[in-house]
Amino acid sequence: MSKTSVDSKVSVKGLRKSFGSNEVLKGLNVEIMEGEVVCVIGPSGSGKSTFLRCLNKLDELSAGTVIVDGFNLGDKTVDLNEVRQHIGMVFQHFNLFPHMTVLQNIMLAPVELKKESKADARATAVKLLDRVGLADKADARPAQLSGGQKQRVAIARSLAVNPDIMLFDEATSALDPEMVGEVLQVIRDLAADGMTMVVVTHEMGFAREVADRVIFMADGLIVEEGTPAELFGNPQQERTQDFLSKVL
Amino acid sequence: MRNIVTFRAGKFTVAVTALLALAGGFVGVNAAAARQPSAAVTGETYVIGTDTTFAPFEYREDGELTGIDMDLIRDIAENQGFSVEIKSLGFDAALQALQSNQVDGVIAGMSITDERELIFDFSDPYFDSGVQMAVAEDNTEITGYSDLDGETVVAKRGSEGETFANSIKDEYHFTVKALADSATMYDDVKAGNSVAVFDDYPVLAYGINQNNGLKSVTEKEQGSSYGFAVNKGQNPELLAAFNTGLAELKSGGEYQDILDKYLDAPATSNDTSFFGLLSDSLPALMKGLGLTLLATGLSILIALVLGVMFGFFKVSESRVLRGIASAYVSIFRGTPLLVQAFFFYFGLPQLTGQSIDVLTAGVLTLSLNAGAYMTEIVRGGIQSVDPGQTEAGRSLGLGYATTMRRVVLPQAVKIMTPSFINQFVMTLKDTSLLAVIGFAELTYQGQQIYASNFRTGETLLIVAALYFIVINLLTMLSNKLDKRFNK
Ligand SMILES: Nc1ncnc2c1ncn2[C@@H]1O[C@H](COP(=O)(O)OP(=O)(O)OP(=O)(O)O)[C@@H](O)[C@H]1O
Ligand SMILES: [Mg+2]
Repeated sequence: MSKTSVDSKVSVKGLRKSFGSNEVLKGLNVEIMEGEVVCVIGPSGSGKSTFLRCLNKLDELSAGTVIVDGFNLGDKTVDLNEVRQHIGMVFQHFNLFPHMTVLQNIMLAPVELKKESKADARATAVKLLDRVGLADKADARPAQLSGGQKQRVAIARSLAVNPDIMLFDEATSALDPEMVGEVLQVIRDLAADGMTMVVVTHEMGFAREVADRVIFMADGLIVEEGTPAELFGNPQQERTQDFLSKVL
Repeated sequence: MRNIVTFRAGKFTVAVTALLALAGGFVGVNAAAARQPSAAVTGETYVIGTDTTFAPFEYREDGELTGIDMDLIRDIAENQGFSVEIKSLGFDAALQALQSNQVDGVIAGMSITDERELIFDFSDPYFDSGVQMAVAEDNTEITGYSDLDGETVVAKRGSEGETFANSIKDEYHFTVKALADSATMYDDVKAGNSVAVFDDYPVLAYGINQNNGLKSVTEKEQGSSYGFAVNKGQNPELLAAFNTGLAELKSGGEYQDILDKYLDAPATSNDTSFFGLLSDSLPALMKGLGLTLLATGLSILIALVLGVMFGFFKVSESRVLRGIASAYVSIFRGTPLLVQAFFFYFGLPQLTGQSIDVLTAGVLTLSLNAGAYMTEIVRGGIQSVDPGQTEAGRSLGLGYATTMRRVVLPQAVKIMTPSFINQFVMTLKDTSLLAVIGFAELTYQGQQIYASNFRTGETLLIVAALYFIVINLLTMLSNKLDKRFNK
């Protein structure tokens, strides 16, 4: 994968996060470059989702700094709604708005945020739907779609505000196996287009294929990171070896 | 004369008085705003409180207040050159209103007692009551107290009739059963459950007059006297005018005419069929139904606003706002609606010196009460929407308010609608409780009607049917709208 720039898109230093007395993230340091695709793997409960949610501040930070696209998220004067328009997020359970059609789901944010007129937003939405292969579903309700289709709509919805960075939290875990491929293909296409992405996934094959870098997390810490070849081919830490031996 | 009459002598009055006294004493403001005494009554208008239904002293006929008290006060007012505005509040309510100076005087078939003379100033007695015994029309065996040996009689709980019956029961060897109101007692005698009834002479005379199926068999025992009352030390000129007017009516013969009209005259030939009752009572009931719907509509609208506001407080991040909303909900869910109604109508004016009309007090009570339930409905509705929906909205860069408005609320409303409809029906039914503060809604109108015609069962059937029809029509309509808009 070619990199056209080496600007830092995400810079995380000493990130800690506690829920009450339970410390879930215990000091993370991560630097992500523009256009880089980073996959995060690790056992359940290791803090992968929490890490991702700290990147757009769906969860409050307990300590440390997170700088995304030049915005310091710890800074109280930063307009979070503005920052979040630069960061798309895709959830395990899609979280489509069930009372709206597919098109309305995609158009909501651009129109409400006054980024586009209704007509322009509609045109953009149709284009995005075409891009994820669902042009014919514009007027369907989420309930009428399959899981894979829902997740592709959710990705289109995130892309509608034209983000620089995309976060995926186990985007294929809730899908039937035969639908995993269609969603991965959309993510793969995004990677090919040079989108900066942080992808939490259980799909090791996919991580190996599209990731520029793989991060292995356990117990709230980054245990090991490296290129797919390094991490999957020659893991250094016993914890990593242990995990990979179970999932591969 | 109905349940109101139970209150008349019963512990109910005491309880309400104690409650209000407690509220007043607690805040330390017991006195109410004093009225300027005027030199003369001529040209003045006085607000007079009375009972809702204590035939033959006050009751409604074709929607109009009538009865001995009503004729008397109107004739005296005319005689003395002042005007009266009659407020039909219920007995306890009228006394409370008098104490809080919401009315200037009370005429309500009220016995002059030592206790009451401590807090009110009474006129000269205008009527001598007393207990009398009656039996079923076709009963020829009981003609006096001595025929009661081994029998059971009924008397009204807490009334003079009960006291009197108890005082002679050992001498004549009978048993006394206490019931709550006159209509029930008369039915009990007609059904043969008891052989005789001891009741106030005017009430009994009027009932017999109205063909209630009884006949009186003894002379009336000497009893208490009724008086017109003003608040202690207030409106002395009104009291004086009443006494003068009464004396003039007595000497002019009008006084006796009034008594004869209600106690001696043959019963008016009423249509006694069910459909006769229906067509006679429907105009008044429809008026009541109108007020029921008005109070329900206003209350629900205000409750909706309160519910949305406090509901949002409840789900907000601010501990203070959550605390305020929780306090509001627990106060209004944690106290009976009836107590709230009494408080807003009687208690609040005593505390603030500001009188309040019955519709305002009623709507205030119902809307604050329903608002508390609405708050919980709104909170529940919002919280039942998957938090992932909010996260999706926020992660797109939408603000809290926009996310609420476009994403959460449309889904919450759908969940809340059945509960809203339910609350609407509850509030409509709760309006019937406002009858106790004299709000002339449907139940109140029903009480008025059966208090003067003694056809309790049939009248209540009509009232219940009206509620049933209206509630089911509204529920059907609401469900239709729900289906239509919340697909
Ligand atoms: N809102 C919360 N309140 C309290 N504890 C939480 C909360 N969210 C997550 N946790 C805890 O934080 C820890 C890490 O959770 P997280 O969801 O980040 O793990 P994960 O690596 O994404 O796991 P999985 O693979 O199962 O999704 C867990 O122990 C979890 O119970
Ligand atoms: Mg997770």
